[in-house]
Amino acid sequence: MKISLNWLNEYVSLAGHSADEIARAITFLGFEVEGIHRSGAPALTNVVVGEVLTREKHPNADKLSVCTVALGSILGVKTIVCGAQNYKVGDRVPVALPGAVLPGNFTIKQSAIRGQSSDGMMCSAKELGISEDASGLLILAGRPELGAPINSVLPPGDTVFDIEITPNRPDCLGHLGVARELGAWFKQDLAYPAVHFVPEHASPTPRPDLLRSLLVDARDDCPLYTATVITGVKIAPSPDWLQQRLLAVGLRPINNVVDVGNYVMLEYNQPVHAFDARKLVGQTIIVRHAHHGETITTLDGKAHALTSPMLVIADAEKPVVIAGLMGGLDSGVSADTTDLVLEVAHFRPQSVRATSKRLALTSDSSYRYERGVDRHLLGEAMHRCIDLLLATAGGTVAGPTLKVGGDVPWEREITVTPAFINERLGFALPADEMLAALERLELTTVRTDPTPDRGQAWTFSIPSWRDDLDRPIDLVEEVLRLHGSDKIPAAPVTAPALLADDAPIVAFNRRVTDLLVGQGFHECITYTLRSEKEVSTWATPSENFVGTGSDQTKIHAEGSSPKSDNPKSKIASASDALALANPFLADQSHLRPSLIAGLLETLKLNQARGATASRLFETGRIFLAHDGQTWECAAAAFLICDNEKDRAWLHRAPADFYSTKRLTETLATAAGIDLARQAVTPAPTAAHGWQAGHAATAGELQHRGWLAQFGLVDLTLVQSLGLEGKIHAGLFAILPEKLAASATRRRYADFSLMPAALRDLALVVDASTPAADVQKILAKHARAATGPAFALESVNVFDVYAGTGLPDGKKSLAFTFTFRAPDRTLTDDEVNAAFTKIQAAITADGKISVRA
Amino acid sequence: MQAQLTALLAQAAAELPALTTRPAFEAAKARYVGPHGALTALMKQMGALPKDQKPLVGKLINETKTQLQTLLDAALARLAAAEIAAQLGPAVDTTLPSPDAAPGTRHPLTLVRDELASILRKAGFVIADGPEVETEYYCFDALNTPADHPARDAQDTFYLPADVRFGNVAKKSSGERYLLRTHTSSVQIRTMLKGPPPIRIIAPGRVYRRDTVDATHSANFHQIEGLYVDKNVTVRDLKALLDYIFASLLGADTKVRFRPHYFGYTEPSFEVDLSARHLPKVNKEWVEICGCGMVDPLVFSGVGYDPDVWSGYAFGIGLERLAMMLYGIDDIRYFYQNDLRFLKQFA
Repeated sequence: MKISLNWLNEYVSLAGHSADEIARAITFLGFEVEGIHRSGAPALTNVVVGEVLTREKHPNADKLSVCTVALGSILGVKTIVCGAQNYKVGDRVPVALPGAVLPGNFTIKQSAIRGQSSDGMMCSAKELGISEDASGLLILAGRPELGAPINSVLPPGDTVFDIEITPNRPDCLGHLGVARELGAWFKQDLAYPAVHFVPEHASPTPRPDLLRSLLVDARDDCPLYTATVITGVKIAPSPDWLQQRLLAVGLRPINNVVDVGNYVMLEYNQPVHAFDARKLVGQTIIVRHAHHGETITTLDGKAHALTSPMLVIADAEKPVVIAGLMGGLDSGVSADTTDLVLEVAHFRPQSVRATSKRLALTSDSSYRYERGVDRHLLGEAMHRCIDLLLATAGGTVAGPTLKVGGDVPWEREITVTPAFINERLGFALPADEMLAALERLELTTVRTDPTPDRGQAWTFSIPSWRDDLDRPIDLVEEVLRLHGSDKIPAAPVTAPALLADDAPIVAFNRRVTDLLVGQGFHECITYTLRSEKEVSTWATPSENFVGTGSDQTKIHAEGSSPKSDNPKSKIASASDALALANPFLADQSHLRPSLIAGLLETLKLNQARGATASRLFETGRIFLAHDGQTWECAAAAFLICDNEKDRAWLHRAPADFYSTKRLTETLATAAGIDLARQAVTPAPTAAHGWQAGHAATAGELQHRGWLAQFGLVDLTLVQSLGLEGKIHAGLFAILPEKLAASATRRRYADFSLMPAALRDLALVVDASTPAADVQKILAKHARAATGPAFALESVNVFDVYAGTGLPDGKKSLAFTFTFRAPDRTLTDDEVNAAFTKIQAAITADGKISVRA
Repeated sequence: MQAQLTALLAQAAAELPALTTRPAFEAAKARYVGPHGALTALMKQMGALPKDQKPLVGKLINETKTQLQTLLDAALARLAAAEIAAQLGPAVDTTLPSPDAAPGTRHPLTLVRDELASILRKAGFVIADGPEVETEYYCFDALNTPADHPARDAQDTFYLPADVRFGNVAKKSSGERYLLRTHTSSVQIRTMLKGPPPIRIIAPGRVYRRDTVDATHSANFHQIEGLYVDKNVTVRDLKALLDYIFASLLGADTKVRFRPHYFGYTEPSFEVDLSARHLPKVNKEWVEICGCGMVDPLVFSGVGYDPDVWSGYAFGIGLERLAMMLYGIDDIRYFYQNDLRFLKQFA
């Protein structure tokens, strides 16, 4: 909002303060100063009014003239060389004499120009710093006195502050409110505008031929409406002072009636509207909700289709104003208007705001109604407006002001003790400073009462325009504002220990980050909002991707049968469940179900820019749709792109599926989950994003609260993204609430100091048999074979082979067994006996044979 | 005899340095000094010598034996050295770079977040967490933001469709909508509803605004929220903490000033400016860095804290804005592009 210093000076004397001081005051009163603009002439010395007496061509320059210029009886006549072309003999112009300093620190000296001496310079408006007009000399109108200082002739300059009014202070959307604040800051009295009009001044004869009736149908949205008829006005341009006020704050002067309305709005923060009374059909004003299908063309030339409950001001036939927003083109004041209906009304902020949003239409008026107009000042604003109208447009007030809606009496008191204020501040201010500050803001002390233990208590009456003041704490802020919040004294930080700990997710993220950074991964941060296409790629329906078939059955058996719970759900797919209701950009319309897509995008950006990126990771929230519900998960994911074509003097083995398996296990460990002990199943072919046969999944969200996906990223997808190389990735996601710190302390377990006995066994199995299945059976048989006498310590795969020497469709898996007893060295005989039993058991059903 | 010994030594001196394998060495050793070797054979002839020659020949044999052993030791050492050399291969070029991945890097936003967290941990603040998908209650209502406040507009805030159900983000009332939190202040409410004061937390996290992306705006960004609730917490305490934070981040001569401002959930409220002359790429005397204030009594009543007993302060710092200031980064989008040439600058 633009605030003019000249305008402020009408209410409070700020003459002794520089613009910078005032800007600082506004800042510390709580309003950000976004800009300071100075207009008009700066203070200039040695620049006076002169008249061109003669003008001759310069003997040595085509474009220059040599002039004699009269500067009055004291300064006499001077000779001045001039390059401008727009003047003639007899014109009066500004003349800068030697010693003058023009804007831009340009000092005028006695000089010689192409051999012709010059006693000064005749100036353009730009050279004087008045405007950007450099097209020629500033020709002074009105033949001002010769030799007069130029500042006495030019209109005074102004300083305009562009300030941001916080939403709690609508009173400062008018100059009077800002003046009150500055008066309090600089300890200057506030002078209210003198309002002369009183209802008794109105002509006693109403004019029903102009306004017969005023009806308010929508009293909730329009609690107070007043209308005054003024007859015999003469529409004309506003006087200069009024035009200058409006121009200074960025409003275009229209005519005296419109300008007065705007002036009062910018003074009192009370919008005003003037109708041409003769254009009101039926001599009626009805404040009502629009009927569906009604239209109006507003002053800005735009047509609007109206619907209920948009509030309008209508005549007998049609809406003529969108209440609080903008008048109609047809009912407005025009050059031939002679009779006015002046509206000063109060509209419910929510109503104005809703209509403004629906119509995508805002105005200075709607801005104020939305933020809050003080209805208790409405009458005063009407009278001020009448004063200014009668003064600038003439006319007569015809009959009493029509009014629908009553005054709601304003009464608010706050009781506070200086002790309370000092306690909340944490430092002591003198009570008289507090009291003076609050009274400058026009809080009046109603009474002072003693309290049993807190000294005096003040009770203040709060002015109607300070609806934001309601509680003692609000007065703490007022006192601090006027004391200066830059003067809060320094203090040490006091921080008694609270013995609390970080949320568990902090440790998870830190562990994951430490682990991956240690392994050469670069942390990325990518956007949460992704395109629908990308999300439908990665948000594989959870039934297909999470957990095993038996898990799925379990979910449906035990689950809350969401489909019957929510029969009307329109959410047909996982990507629908992640859609925003109101996306801003088409390609940022969904919540991310994975971190991998963002990492792929990062990889692509780096490849395109020729920056080598092969190991990336991110930690962050992802969103998984599952069985009719969406879950916010903590997640960590990594991506590896070992491009074998990368030029390197020494090539390492590239990452493969098993690299991602180990890394994903590491991520799971950070969440306290031992992935190596969990069932891992191949990613199904329906899982987009991952390459079938080369990726896996573990865990499940709904019952276990976590899941993992890892392996090769779908090669078709990678190619379609324009990426090069094989990309391996892994993701671990967990519900944040499952990350609660584990409280169980580990217990030491005895271990044997006796030597181990090792046996190797190679088996031939179907090529599709998972190694883990065979291992599990072997472990079971081994435990049976050893019995309680000694123990199988481990059985691990150490070789996998298919090809020459084996039948088609078969592969060989070689296992190594480690046996150990707690208390003795095992004998060959007992180990051999157990080993023979294991071989017999594993081959018993004929599906598995021992490799010869 | 002497000639034989001399010949034997000469033969060994010629043969042993030429040996290239351990078996050849062992064979040669056996031939010279083994039980069936040449030296042993000569020693056996000693018995047949006249008595007066024995001392002299004995001495000669011993000298020959010593010399042979020296030759053998040298040969063995040479072989061992050759074996090690073979294992080692040629010497490495120590100037070649390692082909292995260098340590990775933490994102600059993580670095700044962690630095702030560690500064605040010294003052007893621990990290609290809350969901990014929030409900209107936690994001707005409980923070004293009225139902018709512009910040709640669908124009400024991302909402989720009415029929979406979240498994692990509970609504306070069934009528409210899910949204993407517009500030981390929602964590204040969740923390206070979880337990009684005193409370001293920070909540770093991602927030969302429905905004045009440009050099200073991003659809999602990060904040750190701070909340302190105790008895007799004052404006001066708040100022002391922010002085401490920015002195720790930027040096003891950093000046911090409070300007009054308005936030619905604090009273009084302030915007905080830093003296900025020593910051890269800032040409202003003061630069705005965060918002803060004393927790509004209405917020306390809403979570069941008695505002006559408890007081407190809250502050919110934009992480991107802070990181941009600290590092002199002039485009917020760099944080989300993750160009490796950018990421590697901060490790």
